[in-house]
Amino acid sequence: MPSDLETAMELLIVVFHRYASKDEHAGTLSRRELRQLMENELSNFLKSQKDPGAIDKIMKDLDANGDGQVDFEEFVSLVVGLSVACEQCYKMHKGLKTKK
Amino acid sequence: MESAIKTVVTTFLSSARGKESLDTKSFQKLVQKQLGGVMEDTSSSSAIKEMQQGLDENSDGKVSFQEYLQLIGYIANSLSQSKSGSKENAS
Repeated sequence: MPSDLETAMELLIVVFHRYASKDEHAGTLSRRELRQLMENELSNFLKSQKDPGAIDKIMKDLDANGDGQVDFEEFVSLVVGLSVACEQCYKMHKGLKTKK
Repeated sequence: MESAIKTVVTTFLSSARGKESLDTKSFQKLVQKQLGGVMEDTSSSSAIKEMQQGLDENSDGKVSFQEYLQLIGYIANSLSQSKSGSKENAS
């Protein structure tokens, strides 16, 4: 049986490819596909981002090689960024709790 | 997908037991427990040690959250490549 961590990684891969395969560039996310992915899969995160240009900025940041497409490796940077933010949040939360 | 990210973070946090980073022992435990299905040689402690040294960018003998994410990213990348190579439709 796969572990939690393996299941989580598998899910990230499946989600990426589900959205990436929607146009002719099957292995990468276009701007539109990234938007769909974020709206459906990261809606809580997106809600906290009040900036309507957030997705465009994220796209620009992620697209390291500047080809207008986000490949899986570039997508992983997004996951890493979100994980770091999530971890810091968790630490802050814990820090507040222990102070009380 | 948000829950997957949460799993990645909480797996690290619970393995680190409140510390900032994973020491050799807890890293070994994490790899054996959580990554046995996707990696080879997880039963060999020397192989894990080698991998840990490879990850340890600042050479402090521990695996920080950043270094752990590098490993996750690397594994996810290679899994993704083998997946798209075999054209498997997992959804």
